[in-house]
Amino acid sequence: MLGILVKKQLAEVFRTYFYNEKKKKARSKIGIIGWFLFFVVIMVGVLGGMFTMLSYVMAGPMIEAGVGWLYLALMGLLAVLLGVFGSVFNTYGSLYMAKDNDQLLAMPIPNRYIITARLMNVYLMGLLYSAVVVVPAVIVYWIEAGISLPVVVGGLVLILVVSLMDLVLSCVLGWVVARISVKLKHRSYITVIISLAFIGGYYFFYFKAADLLKELIENALVYGEKIKGAAYGMYLFGCIGEGDWVAMAIFTVIMAAAALICGIVLSRTFLSMATTADAGVKTKYREKLARQSTVSGALLRKEFGRFTASASYMLNCGLGALMTLLMAGFMLIKADMVREMFVIIPQEYQSILPVVFSTVIALCASMSDVCAPSVSLEGKNIWIPQSLPVTAWQVLCAKMKVQLILTLPTVLLAGISAAVLMKGSPLSTALFFLVSILFTVLMTLVDMSAGIRFANLTWTNEITPVKQGLAVFIALFGGWILAAVYGGVLILIDWKIGIISADLYMLAAAAVMLLAILALGRWLKTRGTQLFEEL
Amino acid sequence: MLKIEHLTKTYGEKKAVDDLSLHIAPGEIYGFIGHNGAGKTTTLRSIIGIQQFDQGEIRIAGRSIKTDPIECKKIMAYIPDNPDLYEFMSGIKYLNFVADIYGVSPAARQERIRRYADRFELTQDLAQPIASYSHGMKQKLAIIAAWIHQPRLLLMDEPFVGLDPKAAHLLKEMMRELCDEGGAIFFSTHVLEVAEKLCDKVAIIKQGQLIRSGTMDEVKGDDSLEEVFLELEEE
Repeated sequence: MLGILVKKQLAEVFRTYFYNEKKKKARSKIGIIGWFLFFVVIMVGVLGGMFTMLSYVMAGPMIEAGVGWLYLALMGLLAVLLGVFGSVFNTYGSLYMAKDNDQLLAMPIPNRYIITARLMNVYLMGLLYSAVVVVPAVIVYWIEAGISLPVVVGGLVLILVVSLMDLVLSCVLGWVVARISVKLKHRSYITVIISLAFIGGYYFFYFKAADLLKELIENALVYGEKIKGAAYGMYLFGCIGEGDWVAMAIFTVIMAAAALICGIVLSRTFLSMATTADAGVKTKYREKLARQSTVSGALLRKEFGRFTASASYMLNCGLGALMTLLMAGFMLIKADMVREMFVIIPQEYQSILPVVFSTVIALCASMSDVCAPSVSLEGKNIWIPQSLPVTAWQVLCAKMKVQLILTLPTVLLAGISAAVLMKGSPLSTALFFLVSILFTVLMTLVDMSAGIRFANLTWTNEITPVKQGLAVFIALFGGWILAAVYGGVLILIDWKIGIISADLYMLAAAAVMLLAILALGRWLKTRGTQLFEEL
Repeated sequence: MLKIEHLTKTYGEKKAVDDLSLHIAPGEIYGFIGHNGAGKTTTLRSIIGIQQFDQGEIRIAGRSIKTDPIECKKIMAYIPDNPDLYEFMSGIKYLNFVADIYGVSPAARQERIRRYADRFELTQDLAQPIASYSHGMKQKLAIIAAWIHQPRLLLMDEPFVGLDPKAAHLLKEMMRELCDEGGAIFFSTHVLEVAEKLCDKVAIIKQGQLIRSGTMDEVKGDDSLEEVFLELEEE
């Protein structure tokens, strides 16, 4: 029975990889392999590559200083943090808020089986995110320190222990959110605030990481001794990867026991949590004359309502707007620090600063992908926009407007901050703004196209389209790739051919983006609307 | 009001609706009965324009749903078999959303919401999120939303499912009122007693084909509708 539930859970997560929603049939074997390869390449290439670099920077000096355990402990903790960060938003939703709760609870299935199957989902998400840190870290350690049986086994045990830590922490967080949620009315906002505090803390340490890392590497031995004395558990945690059998046994037993206790507690409290009705105060209806809205206004309000009703949606798809806003503030407050960074750029390359800044803004803004899961989120409600007297184009425009309203102002603010710093010529500044705006519009169209093309209306938990959907995956990584291509091509030209005018480059990029916008806009208005009508 | 000519819809090899033709005049309550999977929902979804069809033509008040869908939808309303509504909205927000889309004036919508919500005893729950509604409450809300722009053609798929006896009685009253004012209703049901008492005309569909249609007397003669239906099913 558990096997069936796990299979159902996994089938939902990986549905897009196995099933073609448009053609209403299973993908071919080659198609399935292709989709999985694409996913692996992106995860390993983008995130894995980043942490491999970090591992190489840290591993050598620390192993040399005799504190290889400290390197492994730090990378392990980073992996735990990323794993929890990756799954914290969906734990509550996937454990307690699944739409098939009533269906499953009505069947003769023990609660522990339901919760175990759902925990598998949480575990896999945590493992996915933590693996991109801990796997490269372990492999780099093997390369730098040399391979032996205990070291290899230790590395594998470290990966297991990290994934179990993620599971336990995510469950505790999910349980806390569930406990709070049954007592709160505006739970989506509260969840967002708590999560943002968590993200804020994460990025605070992230920005301090370079200084901390330098300090740590230079004084590895001193810190190693201090940590070993003050936090022996952390020392033992690092020793797992070094092949210490005792550390391996202690941590494996502790984490397995913690995971087991989590499972028992969750399965015992699952029924009351999953079936507790909203305890929020009943809002009394007071009749009042409504203000008449236009069709596009009504559709836009509906889309904003959908966005703000879900903490997962806001956090996963609206974070880019917040990040861009924070970046705008950072560039103003820390203007001197940013200007100091200009110095490292050779004089002859100073002219490319507008391209560098617009690339950074584009990278940040492309994390805002509100319209990518918006079609899938219609789910069983798809009959409403389809049966109302509105065109598919009006519906899609409302979805895209939400993304533009959230992202474009923050991009402009970040642009103003950058323009103040750069003090470029009026032409250069104008082109810089033009490129930033066009990129934001282009990404909105890309996200909407992916949302239509890979729409999945048959989910039981909104986390599936918001976080695990192919549309969101393409929107996020596609945005990063496009931004990287935009910045990278100029660097390649300057390196291979010779320095060209940044203004000319931005003008050319703007022309290309404009063409892409027109082409995608046309596709959405014709084929995209047709696909929406056929859903 | 509604003219369906040679409607054909195929799913893969299977013909869900096969050359179906049907006319509904203003003032008529037209029942649509048939076994599960006979093609009732496909037909209703094709009329409202959320289901593409392979052949045939559907005209609403003289306009084609294929070429002029927006104008057709402006005078229609649809209630699906399962009232899946926007759960993130409150009842009143959903009604205002639908009213905005149909361009119903604030005064008219206020009067209609008050009238229908009071009749369905839903007024006190209008500020609550739809997510907290029972199936019956969602069905009532879907009915009020369908009535809010005073449609000329109403399409309903199993509208009585989930309604309590009082609400079901009220719905029947509202259906008659709408048709007395010149509207038309086409609805599917498995409750043959309701169809027999309520409908002016009835159509029986079997495996996608219309096997009998006409006034209630023409279809059932001296027998009950149930007897006629079961007899036709066995043929």
